Amino acid sequence: MGSLRRVADPGIGIGLLKYTKQRGAPRVAFVTCRRHPHPAHDVSGIPPSVQRYPSMSSKKKAKPARTAAVAAGQAGSLDPAGLASAALAAARFKEAIELFKDLLKRERRPVWLEGLASAYAGRAEQLAAKDMVKEALALWRTRAEACQVPLLDGPYVGWLMRAGQIEQALRLLPSLDKLPAAQREQAAAQLAPAVLVAPDHLLAGLSPESLAHRTAARTALAVCTQRGAQDDPAAVEAALQGISFRSPYRDLRPLLKGLTLLGTDPAAAAASLARVPEQGPFRVLLQALRVCLMPGGEWLAGLRTLDDAGRTLVLDLKGCPSPQRALVLDLMARSANGAPVPAELFDLLQRHRRVLPDGAARSLALRLLPHTPQRLDAFRAGFGSLVAADQERVLALAAELKLRPDQAEGHWLRLVNLLGPSPSPASRYRAALVLRRLADAHTHHSPDGMLCGHALDWLQQSLKLDPADRDTHLRLLRDARREGDLKQARTRFDAASRQFPGDALVLQEGVEIALAAGAYKKAAGLAKQVLQADPINPRVRTLVGQSHLAHARKLIAGHKLQPAQRELDEAALWLRSAADLGQLALLRGFAAETAERGDSLLRQAVADLGGSLVGAFHLLLEAKRVRPRSGFAPQELLRRAGVDTKATPDAAAVLVLAQALHATPQREPAVTVALGVLTAMLTRAAPRLQLSEADHLLLCEALHRHGQLELTRRFAAAALVRWPGRPVFVYLEAAACFEAAPWTMPQAEEERLDRAFEQARDQGDQRTASRLSKLLDAASGPDDFDLPESLLPAFDAGAIGGALDDLLQSGYEDEILDLARRQIGKGVFEQLRREVNGSKRQFAEALVELLKAAAVFEAGEPDFEPAKIQPPRRKVRKAAAVANQNQTDLFDD
Amino acid sequence: MTDPYRLLGVPETADDETIRAAYLAAIRACPPERDRVRFEQVRIAFEAISTAPRRHAHALFDTQAPTAQEVLEVLSADWCPGHPGEATLLRVLGRGA
Repeated sequence: MGSLRRVADPGIGIGLLKYTKQRGAPRVAFVTCRRHPHPAHDVSGIPPSVQRYPSMSSKKKAKPARTAAVAAGQAGSLDPAGLASAALAAARFKEAIELFKDLLKRERRPVWLEGLASAYAGRAEQLAAKDMVKEALALWRTRAEACQVPLLDGPYVGWLMRAGQIEQALRLLPSLDKLPAAQREQAAAQLAPAVLVAPDHLLAGLSPESLAHRTAARTALAVCTQRGAQDDPAAVEAALQGISFRSPYRDLRPLLKGLTLLGTDPAAAAASLARVPEQGPFRVLLQALRVCLMPGGEWLAGLRTLDDAGRTLVLDLKGCPSPQRALVLDLMARSANGAPVPAELFDLLQRHRRVLPDGAARSLALRLLPHTPQRLDAFRAGFGSLVAADQERVLALAAELKLRPDQAEGHWLRLVNLLGPSPSPASRYRAALVLRRLADAHTHHSPDGMLCGHALDWLQQSLKLDPADRDTHLRLLRDARREGDLKQARTRFDAASRQFPGDALVLQEGVEIALAAGAYKKAAGLAKQVLQADPINPRVRTLVGQSHLAHARKLIAGHKLQPAQRELDEAALWLRSAADLGQLALLRGFAAETAERGDSLLRQAVADLGGSLVGAFHLLLEAKRVRPRSGFAPQELLRRAGVDTKATPDAAAVLVLAQALHATPQREPAVTVALGVLTAMLTRAAPRLQLSEADHLLLCEALHRHGQLELTRRFAAAALVRWPGRPVFVYLEAAACFEAAPWTMPQAEEERLDRAFEQARDQGDQRTASRLSKLLDAASGPDDFDLPESLLPAFDAGAIGGALDDLLQSGYEDEILDLARRQIGKGVFEQLRREVNGSKRQFAEALVELLKAAAVFEAGEPDFEPAKIQPPRRKVRKAAAVANQNQTDLFDD
Repeated sequence: MTDPYRLLGVPETADDETIRAAYLAAIRACPPERDRVRFEQVRIAFEAISTAPRRHAHALFDTQAPTAQEVLEVLSADWCPGHPGEATLLRVLGRGA
């Protein structure tokens, strides 16, 4: 509430002293003035800056005013009345009270009395805001006595109710009649809850009309709280109609209606509650009912805002049985500062386990255990024994959560040992799942994605426990095929085929294995089976078609033209893509029995492939593929196909070539030969090309991908003329010049790359930044490899080096890696794995070198030099070797 | 809620059909345009336990700790909306304006 008082005093000036509340904070301020006794100050010497509406919450903002007022007072420009008013305006109520009291001792001027009353009111509000309601009430009484203002003015009744002094509040009933009508109605509304709950003997001073209102409200209350009230809406409505619109209990109508609707129609209940004023006399009930309507579990947080009576009401309405209330209140308290940590929640569940539904407490606590493994004993004490398998699972998950994979692995393997021998299919299946998870974890850390020895063992073991997992079968046979162990791959394929006969994916793997082995007939037979199951499988069609093309090339090279044509006819049944059909057309030209027919077919094929440049490229590529070893006459071939090598290709032709290069397998030797013939055409085109930046980049990347250094440099340089300093072209140009021998890079070039690196990073082009960084690292030489301290004491010098070599030679790389991982820890091991890269064997070799060097260093040999990790050797594809051997007797399977 | 069984309202012994039926009922009751968060929770819960292998994997590898919210939901699962007595209501009203 607010009040406006007229202030008139020769010493202060004339104005209105306003006492208001805004957002719960009291404010006192002069709002108007008529006379300015001092040229610098308007009302009572208060500087203009003070005459706004200072609030308690803006004390800091008011501080300059106070400083100004005090300073002015000290300088003699403000009298005590001015200081008092300034303190009041700045919400320094204690100071204002003292100053006004001093003034009133001198003379009892009404304006000073008003000022004192406002200061008391402000201070009391401050105290009430700090929950010091009793102190606020005492101060309000002092205010009434000292300033001769009505006690019922302002928030007094509300505070009495808040302090539980209902009798005290009810004693004020007779004095209500003395108040002006507006204040009387307001005070009656504030007293309404007290009157409603008061015993009859305390209501002697109540007027008959008020008594009638109360009776109607109590009747409505009784009806609405009757069991089954929600099933009798007519009775509820009739009772609520008894509360008249003029009644101080009128807010109870929507409240009680909402109460009866809570369980059956929450939306209607919410709509009813929305009609109740926020700050009305029944706001405590309103707040409690709103908490009941909060969605999900939000009401738990809402419960914190209520007092004990409100919480009891909410829990009654929710239907919470009495034994469970302690747990709810505990949950509420634990959630006060965010979600409780798992250990807190575990303790809470353990304490209240008996009030939870059967088994629920145990199930919840078991799920908490991986996060609080230190509570295992407490779990057993509170919830009964834990089977060994559950304990291992909990400990494994706990170790994983703490990022201790070695520990986790140990627990998982113990779990497998517990579950695996069980006759129960579910237990055996779970054991298989655990083994697959372990294999996944190991493979995840493998840079080439290959399975290590452990992972292979685990996957094979998992198939014994659960042979029906197709993915594991496929994984194992793919791994064997990629390793080049085709015998093993065939064995696994046979096992998978027995388990999943007719499965398209398994058969497709069979096709891949047969092709890798050069068994084209078998591949074709399997491919037909795949296509029966999956008629549009493009991968299989391409694989088989390409195998026919490969066979046809071989036949053409051996001048067996008729069989080659049959192969090409066969390939035509499988191939669909334009590029594949282009290859087919070229090979038909090569296989033609007459030169005229051949020339005609080649010309047609070159035209179909996209014109001179790209057609010539494909023609040369195919020619080199047909005769990989013996030489061929490219110019003669181009002449026969009608390609004009003296022409300068346009942008569109170059772009089609770039796309063809992207589709061609990386670094195929035939590409170098083909592009070598076309270099002159491309060199002429380079400075004249008007490609977009994206197309230019596509071309440069394609050339770079195939190791065409000179052409890459030319096109990147041409791009830099059009887009100077563009980081990606700077990289491509520099990589073309220096990638083969980065140590020859001059200082100026390094600085240029540095600038490009910064620019790429600023532009968010992380790929280019990373490529530039690697090139710069290569130019500045490799960093010294820091040998982990933990390696040093693990090995002795001397014989251990030889022993490690022997192990390596005998194919025990898994054991070496295992030994190293245990000795140096998973973290260092994985770091080394990433740095060395390469296959498992290469990593084991590098690790052995390091371990030997560490042993030598530990032994203190004088000429010790740190070991250098050798870059991994190029992997020899056993599969390819086998395939080549089998080319001599195609279709023999 | 982190327990997919509880979220879908099915027992831990439920089979594929029961779980699928519960999932369809849940998304019918709570389509994405009405409550996207709830819909997403239901979808994730279904994916976690929709098949027997997934249920086994969930039982073995799930590390989502239950929350206070979930404990409350377990606790309140059997509650029926109650009825406050007149005395309780008067006590609340007597706590002041």
